Amino acid sequence: MSEITEPSAAGGFDDARDATPAARLDWGALWQLLRLGLIGFGVLAVILWLLAQWNEGGAGNAVDAVTGTVTLTLSQEPPQMDSTRGTDQVSFRILGHVMEGLLRYDANNRLVGAVAERWEGTEMLWTFHLREEARWHTGEPITAHDFVFAWRKVVDPANASQYAFIMFGIENAEAINRGDMPLESLGVRAIDERTLEVRLARPLPYFGKLTAFATYNPINEAFYESRAGRYAADAEDMLYNGPFVISSWVHGASLRLEKNPNYWDAGRIKLNAIDHAYITTDTNAVLNLFKDDKVALTSLNAENLDDALQQRWRINRFADGSVYFMELNHAPDRLTSNYNLRKALQAVNDPAELVYKVIKLPGNLPGRSLFPVWLKGVNGYFRQEYPAPEQVPDEALGRRYLAQALDELGLDEPPTLVMLTGDSPSANKQSEYYQNLFKQKLGIDIKIDRQIFKQRLAKMTAGDFDIVMAGWGPDYDDPMTFGDLFASWNENNRGRYVNPALDEAVEIARSSSDARTRMEAFARVQEIIREDAVILVNYELGSVYVANPRVKGLVRRAVGTDPDYTNAWIEEA
Amino acid sequence: MAELSFEPVRVEREVETISRPSLSYWQDAWIRLKANRRALISLYIVIGLLLFTVFGPFVWTVDPAAQDLDQISAPPGADRSATVVDDYAVWRGVTVDVPAGGSPPAAELLAPGAVSVHGPAETRAVRLAWDPVSGAAAYRVYRNILDPEPDGALGLPIADVLDPAQVSFEDRLDLKPLTYYYSVVAMDALGNESRAYRTVGVEVTRVITAAEAVAKGLVEDGDTLQPGDTLNLAAHPLGTDYLGRDLLARLMHGARVSLFIGIVAPFAFVILGIVYGSAAGFVGGRFDQLLMRFADFVVALPFLLFMILLRILFGVGAGESGIYPMMVAMVLLSWPGAARLVRGQILQIREEGYIGASRLLGAKTNYLVLRHMIPNTMGVILVTLTFAVPSAIFTEAFLSFIGMGVAPPTPSWGSMCNEGLKTMLTTPHELIAPAAFISITVLAFNLLGDGLRDALDARMRSAE
Repeated sequence: MSEITEPSAAGGFDDARDATPAARLDWGALWQLLRLGLIGFGVLAVILWLLAQWNEGGAGNAVDAVTGTVTLTLSQEPPQMDSTRGTDQVSFRILGHVMEGLLRYDANNRLVGAVAERWEGTEMLWTFHLREEARWHTGEPITAHDFVFAWRKVVDPANASQYAFIMFGIENAEAINRGDMPLESLGVRAIDERTLEVRLARPLPYFGKLTAFATYNPINEAFYESRAGRYAADAEDMLYNGPFVISSWVHGASLRLEKNPNYWDAGRIKLNAIDHAYITTDTNAVLNLFKDDKVALTSLNAENLDDALQQRWRINRFADGSVYFMELNHAPDRLTSNYNLRKALQAVNDPAELVYKVIKLPGNLPGRSLFPVWLKGVNGYFRQEYPAPEQVPDEALGRRYLAQALDELGLDEPPTLVMLTGDSPSANKQSEYYQNLFKQKLGIDIKIDRQIFKQRLAKMTAGDFDIVMAGWGPDYDDPMTFGDLFASWNENNRGRYVNPALDEAVEIARSSSDARTRMEAFARVQEIIREDAVILVNYELGSVYVANPRVKGLVRRAVGTDPDYTNAWIEEA
Repeated sequence: MAELSFEPVRVEREVETISRPSLSYWQDAWIRLKANRRALISLYIVIGLLLFTVFGPFVWTVDPAAQDLDQISAPPGADRSATVVDDYAVWRGVTVDVPAGGSPPAAELLAPGAVSVHGPAETRAVRLAWDPVSGAAAYRVYRNILDPEPDGALGLPIADVLDPAQVSFEDRLDLKPLTYYYSVVAMDALGNESRAYRTVGVEVTRVITAAEAVAKGLVEDGDTLQPGDTLNLAAHPLGTDYLGRDLLARLMHGARVSLFIGIVAPFAFVILGIVYGSAAGFVGGRFDQLLMRFADFVVALPFLLFMILLRILFGVGAGESGIYPMMVAMVLLSWPGAARLVRGQILQIREEGYIGASRLLGAKTNYLVLRHMIPNTMGVILVTLTFAVPSAIFTEAFLSFIGMGVAPPTPSWGSMCNEGLKTMLTTPHELIAPAAFISITVLAFNLLGDGLRDALDARMRSAE
């Protein structure tokens, strides 16, 4: 063993028992060190606290009456902010806040003038008089040419807009979209800077409602061309004419809207900013943000209903207006193009079980028809005048259809089908429910293809699926918004269903202005869709949500921008 | 001198006696492992898990994909008694004649005089009817699990009855055997609610029809059941998940995936690492440098990216299981760790005296490597292996968690955690069960690895 006589530096602390001057000195040094450390800690804590404060300032509280800011979430990044090409609810929701068409819906869901000050319509000719004070957010006036340019863009076959069909009521639109006629022949004309004249291809009593739809928004031609294909790709790649402008857009993370000072009716708008500070599909995360007073609105799902009840929140409901269904692929190379296979799937489908036991959310209705219950018919509700039978599952019938289908397809055993679906928890739940249902009842194996929204849309457009869990929200307040969905010419007919009988019924409903004739045509569409198992209707979406009680004037609606904050204000605490 | 004076020295043959049988390396290691209680318990847990996985499904023969929709998200030990009732009959509801005329604003509307329950309140349906409110344009029905008093939190707006002539509602939405408080509120033509409401408390009983009991396999013959009998629904020892699937069965089947990945992948890449590392270490020199730089290169490859590429290479389509690409990616990318360790050991052992002696005695390379070098690196190898197992289980859990692993309905512990996480606050058992299994497995393998390292370390052999 080596002898160590000198105590090591650390040894001084161990020998505290003999209070030598050296030891006291060590204690003093330690004390000093401790003090320094404490001060350092204190400073660090203050800096961290300040940082946290600053951060809170950045993300904001749910409502801030001083700055007039409401903080919200988005379920996903808006996939397409170009109004001529957008198809989804998230894009339309943002577009509804930053853009304005000729007309709009007010807080009581009445159609009122937006960019158009006055309008008059005869059966085939509509004239819109634009407001003198209507401006782009840069201060430039909005002219009739901006509408002509945008509408031509929608029907331009080169633009490949999936919503082109919504313009087909305008003279020559359909032929232009097929590529048979030049763009200039579209029946819309700027008589002068502030007068827009629209010639229709057929009488459209609801054309005014159509112009409130986002696809009919104006676009400034010079600006569009100057972006060289990047129009609406980013916040600065757009010209805004709505109550708000996008002030910052961090892709995938946040999207902030601020009041547009050049909006013609800026006095009406009480909010200064709408901050979509979080983009997430995770409903639990949104609920927790709501609990922490970070966001002003959360929808509830089946799992957190009990939690919401325990919190004694005032829960609201509203019928979303949309219908969810399983769309089947009718392309000839797909097994689902076989009628009996589709009927087999339809026979075992049990929407009541799906809604009452799997989705478990109040407000949803078990699906019976492509046409939801709230659509108006001749006098009352369409579905009361033309009822759709309840879908009652019949396993034996399903097996009979399946046996026939296997026979026709030359298969020995039930096939494997690919089910395309979204990546949200509820989509997972429903797809796994159906996977088990079809396996148990028919022996059909389902492969679940989970995709994010953009990718799912892309795959739907490409027809890369057998079954897709899809939904359709109304664009305007007429059964036609659902009725022409499976017409052969409709780009949103993702399963490429082609049936002349259905096309004919849609054509009758399109060209007639007699309510009874039209409703009877829609009843025929309803019947064909059910009889031919074009789609399997799952449910009509309803939702329950909780809003911050200080946010007033929030409008939820089935047709048009939803949720609509343009009329909202914050109540002083 | 007499002859007897001398005696030849007896050759002492037995220089030393072996008092105890000699211990081989493995026997010694086993003794020391046995002395380590933590490691021993971990070993039993690992064996138990393997039995659970391999033989569990033969004992608990519930289909892990079967959905028991009457017991969704049921926690373990939930009450499962149900009363047998007759088949469901459609209820037409109650309608009254409403005089035509405008409806007053919501503020003037009164509460319904009384709300009553028609027929028995059962989990398949609760039927409510109420006295009409004069002037009401529609009614809204709320349901709460708590008493709305004192602050008037009515709870869930469960339905809007848009026809004022209809003064009844049938609730079929996810009813549980609880006490519910139903409140009815009148609405005006604009859809504004009156402030006045009427509440009724309803105690709901769980029911089942004879046909359902037969379909679920609870009884053989439906005719033996009489209305009013009680029977128990299917048992789920660990509860069920969000689609009523049995958690125990899912854990057993999920373990197959998790442990398959967790054991096969580490074995494969550790063996690859041994071969690679011992080759590099034994040959040495420029060859060693080359091999080790290549290993460095492999370490730098990003796992997730490689995994995605392999999925494409394997042609794993949508909705198909990604287990094999996952395993191949793990084997291809995880061997350098083991290879480095083995190479280090071999480099060291190569210079030992006994290797030189063996070489002088004419041992061939094969003999040297297999007899002297690999056994002496065994400690390191086994430890690497036991530590690789938990990390592989974690990797599988992570990849299934982000949706790149198993395809539904095949369960794996990771995907079960992913699903359970979404309902963590309301039904925690869905997360706790798989998470506990992952944690226990990983801990057991880690502690076993610790114990093995101590037991197999040749230097600790003398320190008995």
